Amino acid sequence: MIGKTVLLVDDSRVARMMARAVIERHHPGWTVHEAGTGEDAVAIATSSHPDFILVDVNMPGMGGLAAAARLRELHPKAAVSMLTANIQEPVQHQAEHLGVGFITKPIREDALLAFLTVGDAG
Amino acid sequence: MTPFIDAIDRDAVTELVNIAIGRAAASLSELVEDELRLSVPVIEFLTPRQAAERLEHETHGGETVAVRQNFSGRMTGHMLLIFPEKRSLDLVRSMLGDHVPLDQLTELEQEAFLEVGNIILNACLGSLANQLGLALESSLPAYVRGRGAQILDGGVSADDELVLFLQVDFSLLRKDIHGYLAFVMDIVSARHFIEAVRDYVASKLAG
Repeated sequence: MIGKTVLLVDDSRVARMMARAVIERHHPGWTVHEAGTGEDAVAIATSSHPDFILVDVNMPGMGGLAAAARLRELHPKAAVSMLTANIQEPVQHQAEHLGVGFITKPIREDALLAFLTVGDAG
Repeated sequence: MTPFIDAIDRDAVTELVNIAIGRAAASLSELVEDELRLSVPVIEFLTPRQAAERLEHETHGGETVAVRQNFSGRMTGHMLLIFPEKRSLDLVRSMLGDHVPLDQLTELEQEAFLEVGNIILNACLGSLANQLGLALESSLPAYVRGRGAQILDGGVSADDELVLFLQVDFSLLRKDIHGYLAFVMDIVSARHFIEAVRDYVASKLAG
């Protein structure tokens, strides 16, 4: 795959850095956008066309699940997954209800790469 | 002092917390690529002052850094991931070493430590909530620096009221870093917690 675009949405700069490092190592030609809030992510997504979107759950402002729902509306063909430390079952169920994937932190390279290959986040 | 829990309750809480901490330890171990050794959880009812003194004692009166996250729902309280300040950069270096130039590590120390806390505390809280069938809201993690009392400040109630203090010590074997994970709940929440634990045990025994 060449020239794909990934949108990373996480209020933690460090979390974004770690995800970006994996992506750049394995897909050096890809474009990675970063957003620190759901609101910023929606703003970025209105002017870009991400193929893959990863969203943290616990964030200030609109929160990750609401952001994921909005991003899914904006880009129904994009593969969307939560990427979160919040492993509680109700959160997983909400993600499932939204039709988005669920990847747990700490980020595992194989899980992230699987998502970026086929959009499969379990 | 244990106002309302018996030996069975204590055993059940220890087991549940062991599982939750195990999940958190697995996460931390993945992050820093080192094996963790865990203590048996200590469960006590203490006044906030006693809890602070306990923490000061455990950290040898030194400065500590901590990530604090509040939780709410059927029970309300906060949880803390605590490390001696002088070792926190080592922890962050273990986590980010390959990803970040050395000169950026110090700048990123606080943010990296927050993310470590976010992952560890949520792993622990999420496991507990999942086992007990509870839905708990958790706040965004906050970075705290100071001694025992300062670390615990903000969340515990009046000084004469008891809090449930759950503490687990852990050490990273190769890096010789020790840390502490603590849960603090007021007495009303502690009662709800114990009730949830009893319901869980009863449901397991009933098959």
